[in-house]
Amino acid sequence: MKTIYEISKSGKRAVTFAPISVPEYTLDSTLTRDELNLPSLAEVDLVRHYTALSKRAFGVDDGFYPLGSCTMKYNPKINEEVASLEGFASVHPRQDTDEIQGSLALMSTLSAYLAEITGMDAVTLQPCAGAHGEYLGLQLIKKYHEKRGDVKRTKIIVPDSAHGTNPASASMAGFDIVAVKSNDEKGVDLDELRAVVGEDTAALMLTNPTTLGLFEKNIEEISKIVHEAGGLLYYDGANLNAVMGIVRPGDMGFDVVHLNLHKTFSTPHGGGGPGSGPVGCKSMLAPYLPNPGVVKTDNGYEFSFSEDSVGKVTAFYGNFGVYVKALAYIVTLGAEGLKEASETAVLNANYLKARLEDLYPTEKGRHCMHEFVVSLEDLKKETGVSAMDVAKAMIDGGIHPPTMYFPLIVHEALMFEPTETESKDTLDEAADLLRSLYEKAHTCPEELHTAPHHAAIKRPDEVKAARNPILRG
Amino acid sequence: MADYLSLTDAEKRAMLDTIGVDKVDDLFEDIPNKLRCKKLNLPDGKSQQETYAFMRALSKRNRIYDSIFMGAGSYDHYIPSVVKSICSRSEFVTAYTPYQAEMSQGILQAIFEYQTMICNLTGMDVSNASHYSGATAAAEGCIMSADKVKRVVTFDNINPDVMDVLSTYLTARGIELVVLDSVDGKAVLPDDIGIVGAVYCENPNFYGLIEDTTSIAVTCHNNGGKFVLGMNPIAMGLLKSPREQGADIAIGEAQPLGLPMSFGGPYIGFMATTQKEMRKMPGRIVGETVDSAGNRAYVLTLQAREQHIRRERATSNICSNQALCALTVSVYLASVGSEGLRHVAKACTSNAHYLANGLVEKGAKLCFNGEFFHEFVTLTEGKAEEIITALKKENILGGLLIDADTILWCCTEKATKESMDKVIEIVGGVL
Repeated sequence: MKTIYEISKSGKRAVTFAPISVPEYTLDSTLTRDELNLPSLAEVDLVRHYTALSKRAFGVDDGFYPLGSCTMKYNPKINEEVASLEGFASVHPRQDTDEIQGSLALMSTLSAYLAEITGMDAVTLQPCAGAHGEYLGLQLIKKYHEKRGDVKRTKIIVPDSAHGTNPASASMAGFDIVAVKSNDEKGVDLDELRAVVGEDTAALMLTNPTTLGLFEKNIEEISKIVHEAGGLLYYDGANLNAVMGIVRPGDMGFDVVHLNLHKTFSTPHGGGGPGSGPVGCKSMLAPYLPNPGVVKTDNGYEFSFSEDSVGKVTAFYGNFGVYVKALAYIVTLGAEGLKEASETAVLNANYLKARLEDLYPTEKGRHCMHEFVVSLEDLKKETGVSAMDVAKAMIDGGIHPPTMYFPLIVHEALMFEPTETESKDTLDEAADLLRSLYEKAHTCPEELHTAPHHAAIKRPDEVKAARNPILRG
Repeated sequence: MADYLSLTDAEKRAMLDTIGVDKVDDLFEDIPNKLRCKKLNLPDGKSQQETYAFMRALSKRNRIYDSIFMGAGSYDHYIPSVVKSICSRSEFVTAYTPYQAEMSQGILQAIFEYQTMICNLTGMDVSNASHYSGATAAAEGCIMSADKVKRVVTFDNINPDVMDVLSTYLTARGIELVVLDSVDGKAVLPDDIGIVGAVYCENPNFYGLIEDTTSIAVTCHNNGGKFVLGMNPIAMGLLKSPREQGADIAIGEAQPLGLPMSFGGPYIGFMATTQKEMRKMPGRIVGETVDSAGNRAYVLTLQAREQHIRRERATSNICSNQALCALTVSVYLASVGSEGLRHVAKACTSNAHYLANGLVEKGAKLCFNGEFFHEFVTLTEGKAEEIITALKKENILGGLLIDADTILWCCTEKATKESMDKVIEIVGGVL
């Protein structure tokens, strides 16, 4: 398909503006540019170009999207509608507080609800995505130790099964990273943990359920080990969708948590954002949250400022439009609805797992939570068909592939997260497809090696892309 | 209560039977009982109709203005209809990050085209796929330049939010942030500034003034630093491109290009740099390649920089960025085109100069002497608050009150002569 520059023809235009109604002002020519190359298209050309692009994309509205760790649940339409209300969309962020009571009430309410859901004492909404939340959460931890004069705590412990953002965020926040190995049950190895904690431990970062989709049964012991060593416990909320209303990070012993509103709270992912990564913490960390906070006073809602704040992590108050959608979701579901969402997410995952596990081995003898990881190591040995091959063949079946080759501790991994919004029919279709692909791997492996066959493109040459980068048209 | 689920009771029963458990709760047996929580203390769920009413009532507690003369980091521009229409398509809205290239060519190509437009706008060689905001783009641009010489110099006339975010990010990395006083509102970089990793400057600056960036770039380079330049993208419709001004890294807040003010977000930071700095750049990048049949294809590339490959040695932790906002920016730029962007920029600066002249005629003074683009600061001793209050009565949002004497005004192409004459008249009435 042609690029927008390839269909551009000078002389066309899509939009006209009002004429300038005052004397035109001309800036000195030493300040101005001569050349500017943007596309020229009629409105119809523009619409058809982007419509064609949209048909070469795939969202949750198009079909099943069991991308593990990403919680691709259905994004309710009312959320989009209310975020576009003029009273939200047309408000300037620097208007006086008496004129933005709606926005402040919304932020305060959402923060309070998220605090209740996570068992935390305070929540900031400011971070713009999960990794941004991690970054902030770690800054809170850093400041906490510094304020106590405990300046030797320079290390963050991260399990080898962790999301890549965990060590990257810790590094951005100025910490060194210590990896801790997993045990036979794919949880944190307690002896390993005891061996690495010490007076240089700032915190341990953990997801629970873990990236294997299993509940970390030893969480209380882990919490004890880390806290007794003087460290704090950080909760990566990527997997919160399994446990809303069932168990709270705060009750498990976590001191800081980040959430992903674009995962757990149904806001759309937009092809890679905007997301939102609120951070919750226990009261001893609250003074370090970013400025400004929002507080309710006798005169309504106001901004609050803390002298000990770690500072701002983005402009204004973060991705406000995303908060509107997340609040609409929580208000719609309520306490019971959120719990039912998590229960159903876990039911759906266990059902899909049950329908696959005789062919696609996964962790035995335990129920998974909202996601599960299968290993295609044996299938690859038997047939030469890899996790990548099966994933690509799923595309021809109209299903978005699961997360591939993650977590790193499972070979030939595929990680499925169906979410609660999928029907039994959808899960059955996916299971049937995967079972047929397993057969095909044995009878006709070449068809899988060369999949997909019916997508917009065949497999792309990624090595060429990285070796000879062409990054603009 | 709506629940967005799609299972009948009979289906649930059949699923539990297949799994081999009696009830859903049995699936949670790994969770110790004493950790299980009581019912969450949240209100009961609502019907869709009730949720809409609740949200609308909240939105009504915000004030909406007929005319807006406030900028300071968030700008009230006209958004062409086609922008919202295209960017609401659910294939774009409800997709994840394009990890599966075969299924995501539309999104990858849209990002590639975004990168192309940002390169053309900034004059730089390569652009990434977006940052959370102009403020985080500024911070990450400085970090990528200050990995060896841990010293960044900036000026007190940059956007205060950007200053705050710079300070947060650089402090965490152990990078010194030096803030120089501006002279008559403008940035001046002394020749003896000493060795620096980066110099960060905004053009126009927070006061709307057009900076002498060329000399800053030369001094910055003479002292071993990279020049990180933040620009309002509307101003780039008229002003020299960041490349022409000597920038090594061009960043900025692209909200003015098609995104609503939306109480401060979601917005989008852009970042573009030179070929030389390409592999140090943070964030997602889309590249062109071919598929196994030799056809053109797009993929996420240079991923060896990124967190999911390099973990703690990544150039950044960024994962989700602001992809849908990048799409919005692309559609905006493609719909207005070069002529449209020039027109918008020309209208902004013409309107701002008209308003400034009108206010001066009524007795306000301009705080600074330099040339400005579409924002300017007035001095009206002791009267600033009274002016803003008087404007509010006519449902006009005046400029940003900086202190008791000064106001930072902004005019976009949405300002009409009629509305500006009204502002001038009201200010005249106060003075």
